[in-house]
Amino acid sequence: MRDYFKTGITLMIITVIAAFALSAVYSIVKEPIANAELGAKLLAIRSVLKDSTSGGSLVSDERIPSTAGDLAKFEWSPSGFQVEDGIIYRSDNGRGKVDNPVYRFTSDDGREIYIAIASAVGYGGDVKTMASFISTGTGLKLNGIKVLEYSQETPGLGANIANSDIQKRFYPVEPSGLERELKVNKDAGVTPIGEEIDLKRETEGIVTVTDVMTGATITPRAVTVSINTMYQFLKKAGVK
Amino acid sequence: MAESKKETFMANIWKNNPVIVQILGICSALAVTNNMTNTLIMGIGLTFATGFSSLTISALRKYIPKNVRMIVQVLIIATYVIILDIVLKAYLPSISKALGPYVGLIITNCIIMGRAEAYAQSHGPVLSFIDGVSAGVGYSLILLLIAFIRELLGFGSIFGLRVLPESFTPWVIMITAPSAFFIIGTIIWIARTPLVKKK
Repeated sequence: MRDYFKTGITLMIITVIAAFALSAVYSIVKEPIANAELGAKLLAIRSVLKDSTSGGSLVSDERIPSTAGDLAKFEWSPSGFQVEDGIIYRSDNGRGKVDNPVYRFTSDDGREIYIAIASAVGYGGDVKTMASFISTGTGLKLNGIKVLEYSQETPGLGANIANSDIQKRFYPVEPSGLERELKVNKDAGVTPIGEEIDLKRETEGIVTVTDVMTGATITPRAVTVSINTMYQFLKKAGVK
Repeated sequence: MAESKKETFMANIWKNNPVIVQILGICSALAVTNNMTNTLIMGIGLTFATGFSSLTISALRKYIPKNVRMIVQVLIIATYVIILDIVLKAYLPSISKALGPYVGLIITNCIIMGRAEAYAQSHGPVLSFIDGVSAGVGYSLILLLIAFIRELLGFGSIFGLRVLPESFTPWVIMITAPSAFFIIGTIIWIARTPLVKKK
């Protein structure tokens, strides 16, 4: 009996010490972690605000936020949506989730730009994608994407989604393409080559990845699901 | 306890190397070795975790009841690994992202548990620390060797710097895990031939 107590107390002491050590380290690194996450987010916003056709920036440099406070000014909350666990919208089939908040910018030439972050399940876990949509008045255009989180994807296969040349295969997409829902070319049953790659994507929403991401369809599929979910959400919010 | 510090250190680097002789830690050896930067960070992380958990376990070995020692060992190892994980997240976010779940998996790396059971339980803190660190270094050296071959042939680069001409066609198999199997196998074969002969 005494042994049980002794064992229990020893275990407890060690656990408490370990917990204290962890919390001490965590309180030191909490701020750098938040800064690193914010920095990554701001960098991603900057990259999706690049005009995908001309290569210039849609929003002039000094208007792109550089602190958390600045960024908060661009938050956009449409009516009719409820935020639950930091998620503002779930797709109809439940496969994609849009994170709260969503941001709204105005381009230098007066167009509205919506930036959202959505996630969908990839090969090993959530794949998070940021995307910017330009409101044209007659439909939304996908301007750019940036894959933010892909840490559970296979190195050398799915994790190649981090490559910006591969991400370029996903944008730009015209309203007609978004309306037909983005899908990877394997699911569409076609293998476009050369100039067809851009054409098929812009108008039909078919993203060609089989040539650059051989053997990994699940990760890019998660990215298309995320983009479709963000599009669905913006459409339901009444953005055109 | 006649073992010298130097002998303890060298044993883990060569004739008792965790990867090629004990065949431990193979899971991460396959997973993170497709580029050298990640491998180096992983190696440093494992060295840190093995060193300090061996030190702590050895220092506490007289107070830990025998029947729960494994639980305590895992707890100590997990504490160090989580510290490492959050420090990486804070100061090296891109590498932390690239390593993904593998940092957390250091907890289950048999090398740490192996050194704790085989060495730290029966030796003093200083020797245990040296033993832990050298096991980490031995592991890192082999992994870096594998990563060197894989990154060179799979991407044509070393530490992300392109060294092979553009005309070089990357070997896709080098990027995927199976290549690490072949390379580890070959390294074990080459390295162990003289070791076995000596016996």
